[in-house]
Formats: sequence, C-alpha cells, structure tokens
Amino acid sequence: MSTVKLKNLVKSYGDVTVVQGINLEVKAKEFVVLVGPSGCGKSTTLRMLAGLEEISGGEVSISDRVINDVAPKDRDVAMVFQNYALYPHLTVAENIAFGLRIRKVPKDEIRKIVADVAETLELTPLLERRPADLSGGQRQRVAMGRAIVRHPKVFLFDEPLSNLDAKLRTQMRAEIKQLHKRLGVTSVYVTHDQVEAMTLADRIVVMSAGKIEQVGTPMELFNSPANTFVATFIGSPPMNLIEATAEVSDAGCYALFEGQRCLLPTLSQLSDGEEIIIGIRPEYIEIEPVADATAIDVKIDLVETLGSEALLHCKFLDKPFVIKVETHGQLTHLENLNKLYFRQNAITVFDKKTTNAMIASDKK
Amino acid sequence: MEDINNSLSTEDSILVKKSKWLVMHLKKEWQLYLMLAPTIIWFIVFLYKPMYGLQIAFKDYSVFKGITSSPWVGLEHFYTLFDNDQFIRAIQNTVMISGASLIFGFPVPIILALMFNEIINPKFKRTAQTIVYLPHFISAVIIAGIVITAFAPSTGVINLMLNAMGYDSVYFLTKPEWFRTIFVGTGIWQEAGFGSIVFLAAVAGVNPSLYESAVVDGASRFQMMYKITLPCILPTILIMLIIRIGNILEVGFEMIIMLYQPATYETADVISTFIYRQGLQAAQYDLAAAAGLFNAVIAFLLVITANTISKRVSKTSLW
Amino acid sequence: MSFKENMNLYSKGDKAFVYLNMFLVAMFTISTLYPFIYVASLSVSLGDAVTAGKVVLTPVDFTLAAYDKVLSDPAFWTSYANTFIYTIGGTIVSLLIIVPGAYALSRPQLAGRKYWNMMIAFTMWFNAGMIPFFLNMRDLGLLDSYIGIIIGFACNAFNIILLRNFFEAVPASFEEAARMDGANDFQVLWQVFIPLAKPALATITLFCIVARWNGFFWAMVLLRDESKVPLQVYLRQIITQLTDDDTFASTLITASYSYETVSSAIMICSIIPVLLIYPWVQKSFNKGIMLGGVKE
Repeated sequence: MSTVKLKNLVKSYGDVTVVQGINLEVKAKEFVVLVGPSGCGKSTTLRMLAGLEEISGGEVSISDRVINDVAPKDRDVAMVFQNYALYPHLTVAENIAFGLRIRKVPKDEIRKIVADVAETLELTPLLERRPADLSGGQRQRVAMGRAIVRHPKVFLFDEPLSNLDAKLRTQMRAEIKQLHKRLGVTSVYVTHDQVEAMTLADRIVVMSAGKIEQVGTPMELFNSPANTFVATFIGSPPMNLIEATAEVSDAGCYALFEGQRCLLPTLSQLSDGEEIIIGIRPEYIEIEPVADATAIDVKIDLVETLGSEALLHCKFLDKPFVIKVETHGQLTHLENLNKLYFRQNAITVFDKKTTNAMIASDKK
Repeated sequence: MEDINNSLSTEDSILVKKSKWLVMHLKKEWQLYLMLAPTIIWFIVFLYKPMYGLQIAFKDYSVFKGITSSPWVGLEHFYTLFDNDQFIRAIQNTVMISGASLIFGFPVPIILALMFNEIINPKFKRTAQTIVYLPHFISAVIIAGIVITAFAPSTGVINLMLNAMGYDSVYFLTKPEWFRTIFVGTGIWQEAGFGSIVFLAAVAGVNPSLYESAVVDGASRFQMMYKITLPCILPTILIMLIIRIGNILEVGFEMIIMLYQPATYETADVISTFIYRQGLQAAQYDLAAAAGLFNAVIAFLLVITANTISKRVSKTSLW
Repeated sequence: MSFKENMNLYSKGDKAFVYLNMFLVAMFTISTLYPFIYVASLSVSLGDAVTAGKVVLTPVDFTLAAYDKVLSDPAFWTSYANTFIYTIGGTIVSLLIIVPGAYALSRPQLAGRKYWNMMIAFTMWFNAGMIPFFLNMRDLGLLDSYIGIIIGFACNAFNIILLRNFFEAVPASFEEAARMDGANDFQVLWQVFIPLAKPALATITLFCIVARWNGFFWAMVLLRDESKVPLQVYLRQIITQLTDDDTFASTLITASYSYETVSSAIMICSIIPVLLIYPWVQKSFNKGIMLGGVKE
C-alpha cells in the first residue's frame, strides 16, 4: 500500500507564495482531508501532488519515490474533479473507460473492468447514458468510477461534493466513506467544508494562508484546537471566543471580562495580567449548575430553534456568542435564561498575541 | 571589478537556469509547439513576409532586381501619389462611399432587429430572418450579376418599371451620379439582415422583467420598444458604430471592381480599386504598394483609435 | 403563454402596431427575396421574352434552354469542378492549420502565449495589402496553381481567435482529467476538445466553405490558366463581358436563350450549393456570432 509524503512543499507564482513549505505524511490506506478557507493553498497542494501544478520547492513522494518530475499520468494517482470533468460526448461507459482506452488496454478487458466498476458503484443501468442525462449524484459516481477503474495507488479528491445540494452531499459523503473502506486506497481529499472534513477524515489537515495550522484526527481538532483559527474553523457553530485578562493566584487561574470572573483550567504558563482569549464550544456550555463550573451572567438576544436542539445567541464584549442546547421539546425556559455555566475543563485558553492554545483542556 | 564579476555570474546563472527550464519545457510540451508551428509558419509566410515586401513603397522596384536589391527612392512614390488627381479622388470616393454606407446603412440593421423583436409569431419571425440573412452568404460576383441584370438598360426590371411609369430608360451603371446610390443600396440590401444579428443578441439580453413591469404600468408596445429596448441596446449600438467608423477605409472593393467602368470612375474609384488598377493591372507595383501602405497605416490608426474609444465607452476591449 | 404572445390582452393601438410591424418586416423580406426570384425567373424564360422586356417576376415562356447552353459548356464544368476542389481542399487545409493552432494558443502552458496571440491578432488590424501579398505569392511560385489558392488563404486571425476563445472556455479540468488518464496533447485535442468544440468547429467549417465558394478576387488575380479558374471567375467573365464589350453578348443571343438568361442560369447554378448548406449555416452562425461576439 502507498504512502504520500510532502516535504517542505512550496508553490509560488512570481512573488506570490501560495503554499509555504508544507510537511505532511499520509499513511497507507489513510483518508486525509485538507481543509481550509478558499485561497489557503489546499487545492494547489493537491494539484502539485497530482502533477497538474509545477512544484516550486520541496519534494513530493509516493511510496518513497520522489515524483516531482514525473508526469501526471505516470504518478499512478487518480483524481475526482470538482466539476467531475465528465466528457459530455461520451457515454458513462466510455467515460469510465477513457483512461484505459488511452492506455491501450485490450477492449475485452476494458469491458470487463468497466462492468465491475459499474457494479461496485451501482451504475450498471446507466452505462449507455450520457452525463447530461444523469443526476448530480450519478455524475459524481461516474467521476469516482473513472478514478477507481485504473486501480491507482492514491486517490485525490478536489472538492468533489461542492456542486451537490445539501441532502445529496450527505449521502455521497457516506458513499465515499464506504468506498474507501472497501477499496482501502490512500486518499487525499480537499474541501472547504469542515463538516465534510470531520465526517470523512481519518486525519484532518487544517490549512490557512499556505501553511498547515494543525494536523489531527477530527476529535483532536474539535477538542484541542491548536489556535484560534482552527477553533473557529472546525465545528458548527464555531467555538466562542472571548477576550479576557488572566488573573493568576494561589487560588487558581481566572479570566476577567465584562466584570465577570471565570475559573480556567490550571495552566502553568499563564501569568497574572496576561491578555488571553478564552474559547468554549457552544456544545460544552451548561445551562444548569454543575461541578467546577463558573456561573456567567447573560442576556439571551435570540433563540433559534433547530428542533431537538436550539441555538441561543447573546453577546460578550459586542462579539456574538452562541450556545447550543437540547430543547427536550421546550423553549420557554431558554428565553428567560440569565445564567450560563462554563465548566473549567471545557475552556481552552489562547495567548492573545500568538493566538496559539496554551494547553489542551480535556473535557468530559 | 569583483562586483562586475558577480553580476556577470548571476546573469549567467539566470541564463543557464532559463535555458535549462526551456529544455525541460520543450521536452514536456513539444507536441504543443508542433501544433502551433503550422499556424505560425503560415502567418509568417503569407502575412508577415509581405510586410517585409512593403519596403518597395520606398523603392524603385524592378521585377528583375527583386525586393531587396531595388534602389531606394525615399518618399518619391508618395509625392507622385499626392500629385495624382486619381489618387486624391480615390481617397475622397472611399470616404464618401463609406460615409454614405454608414449614414444610410448603419441604422437599418438596428431598426430591423427592433422590428424582429416585435414579431409575435415565431414561425414568421424565423422565416423572415432566414431570408434576410441569406444575401450575406451570396458571392459578390452574383450580387453584382443581379445588379447588372436588374439595371440593364432595355431588359432590366428597373428600367422596365420606369418605362411603365412613362420615363425613359436610364443606363444606370454608366452614370457616375447613380453609382454611389446603387452601390450603397446594394450593400444595405445584402448586409442589413445579417447585421441585425448582433443587435438581436443585444435585444435578447434585455432583462424581461423590465417589460413585465412596463406592461403593469400600462406602456404600449411602441413605448416599450422606444423606451426600454432601444436604450438597453445602446451600448451595443455605440460599439458597432465605433467599429464601423474605425473601418471606414474598408469598402467592398470586389463589388466595385465588378460594377464600375471607366465612365463611372469619377465617383466609383476607391483606394483599393486604384491600387488594383495601378498595381495588378498596370504593374506599377511600387506606386501601388505605397498607396496600399498609406491606406493600411491610416486604417490601422483608425482601428486603434476606435478600440481605445470603445474601451472607454464599454469598459471592455473589442478584442 | 406569456403576456407577449397573448394578443387578446393587447390594446387596439398595440394590435395596430404589431400588424404594421409585421407588414413592414414582410415587405423587407420580400424585397430581399425578390432579386433571387427575378434571376431564377430570367434563367427559365425564353430569351426572346427577356429581350422584349417581358420578364419582371414570374417566368415567361418557360424553357430550360439557358441551362442546356450552360451545362453543355465544358468551361462551366471545369470551373464548377475547380470550385469544389478549392472549397473542399481549402476547408480541409484550413481546419488542419487552424484547429491545432487554436488549441495550442488556448493552452496556458504555452510559453510566450501572449506574444503568439498578439502576433495573430495584429494581422487583423494591419496587413501589407494587395501588392506585397501578390508579389509574395509570385515569389513563392504560387501563381496559377491550385496549391496557391488552397494554402495561401487557409488561415485568418478571426477564425483562429474564435476557436481559441472557445477552447479557452473549456474547463481546465477536462484537459487535466485526460492528462491524468495518460492522454498526450494530440489525444486531448482529438478525443476531448474537438468533440466539445463541435458547434464552434461547425461554424468555422461553414464559414470556410462559404468563403471558399464565394471567393473570386484572388482567384481572378492569381490564376491565368483558364482550366484552373473557379466558378465565380468564370461567372464574372460572362457577366462583365456584356459591360466590357457588346459583341460577345450579341453572339450569345438566339431565340431561345439570351445573354441575360444564360448568366442568370449560371448564377442560379452557383447559388444552389450555398442554398443546400444554408440550413446548417444558419443554425451555426447564430452560435458563431455569439462565440466571437463583439470580441473580434
């Protein structure tokens, strides 16, 4: 099985550097998702891996073979494109067979392989149709068929679900995950959608401005974001951040903001009077008193109902602050809420200057 | 000294890097350059090489000496040209004919497009469009043939109608005073339909909700055409107008060659036909090339100006 | 049915406007069509009737004598065949040069792409003109040759730019996907871009065909050998012979056909192939104009 290694990977166009030295190792059979806002260099990184973009610096290797100067077709990778790149003039079968035909695979063999792939992806009844006659999800599956037909060492996905509506996206996400389980091919997947990243990835690579912000499993990123960028990028709604001042004494560490005093996890590197940012996930805020929790006074501005859950909107220091709670079918008790409880261990503390997390808080 | 050495070596290394890159690039993309080659070669051989040949405009060109070895004569041919009444006349005629085509011919496709837009029956519209586009695809020879036949003195339909109304026959094509009218009219007849396509496209781009809200406001069809459609396609009209003005030296000379005769030269002879007669019929290559160069330079300046203006007007370039 | 199609909703004034407009368009259409009908009628009328000035709209004393005369002239058939050679050969050569060229010029990986494109576009605004072009053809030994006509007019900037724009609009992923599948440039062009560009290619092909079919000026200038001239040049000789000297025309006149009927018959013979491909031309040039748009 194949590994992928990126070593100090750099891409620049003239004076503009869009990928600034990326180091990453993808293990065999691993599903890694590169996620970040548009323009963060994730697609460029993937395209360098595919050979579609020249590498300005550093090294890309697949299975320990450096492939910087290897043509895309000889890298043994397959890619699923954002717009699927299905040829409108070819049928589904011809689209899937395109790569094999170019590689002069015998016709009989092509037919057999295409039939197998179609079976796997439940495309058999559609083989003679043209892309224009397919639904979005079907096109997506054909695009995957075209990728897996060649049995590549590595799959690359470039925002493959961004053209689908929300419902289909959820469904296709599950299909991709299952396919990966079945085929066990090393995969690198690019998306700007953190939900996609969270649900699909074995490991997530969060990128911003051409750099890696954090690499970790979905839960690691969720619970222990390395900095405020990751904290706000991962999770929906994002982690709440409040600017505060640290108060450190023998009694413990506290955060001061808006005349309130909140107990923080004990952090050795925190010093008295330091400017900090405290982060707390909307899901980890309590509305009933619990142990180790500080009561915070609030005024709820708005209750947004999602059914079983509700989002409570309020403000701290003029910045929006969101709480996610279970409704248990009731709303009235939420509207009149005037106290929230921040559990000590639910809080992440960030250095205001560097925006880096001071220590991972362990929750639950 | 050391500085110079340093800068030299960095320059060298840049050169080395560049040539290395080029070798790699060509190795990878040679097919692309192979595909490009025929096009580039064609342009060099058939369009750029004649530009080298343009130098005979400043030479006493002799067929035996060839382009390069013929002696230079400076601007002599240009002096000759501007002393030549025929050439001056050709310039005047070019501008006159083009100007008349512009004034009378430019509005017709716009009106036609507006009228097409007001037709409700789609079949009628399609049929009418199919017919009025057709003359554009008919060769100049045939159009000229039709004109010659229709204006023939004794058998042509125009004169037959004049006779029927009690007038004497006129041999139109030998009358200088008629040439421009016939030529411009033919041009409008041939190109107005096809010219309307561009405006129809602009009309199709008008936001339909504008019409819907006008209907709600009780506007009549004519008001909608006049107050919505026309202003909406005004940018296109402006751009097309600028293009036409930029191309004012371009006259359908194939048609003129077919239609004119010595009797009508005084109104019909334009720069291109002058060049054709001087150069290709009388073999005064150098003089004709000078006239051509003059024409090409003016035309080039006009087109560039037109593009600059249209860039300002439309914020988009024409090419 | 939108408000536009529902005439019942129209006011009286609007109805009058619509009908007046229809009438005017009909008039314009008829006046476009009339000359063709006139020529067609002339071509099948008796020569005497034409000479007597009886033919105005419909044929008088129907006869195919003029066609007999035209079709029995070997020079007509030679020129007709030549036109086919120039049209088919010229269109094929044009496509062979234009299509790969436009593809290469549309690829961002082409080094100096901007300059190559400028080199092509420049010729739209400036050309050396008639005389240097003619001398160049002569120096290349392309006077009086099929090859000269076919190759000398194979390209023009407009068609290349039209097709290049179309190729540029093809999403990059189509090429990238093919490349990852192992396709080289020729395969990408042949198997992906050409099928995708069918509408644009049809437009260019039809433009080429029409231009070739109708072209006469350079054929007239470059070809001296009567056996090589295309139909348009042959037709021109017949037509201008009347205006140049009346003797030829008088030799043509007999009772059954006249100079007018014969030249009309040749014109009709030359128009017919254009009419035959016209439905395709019409379908595609709308698109073609859109493709090139004002961006010529």
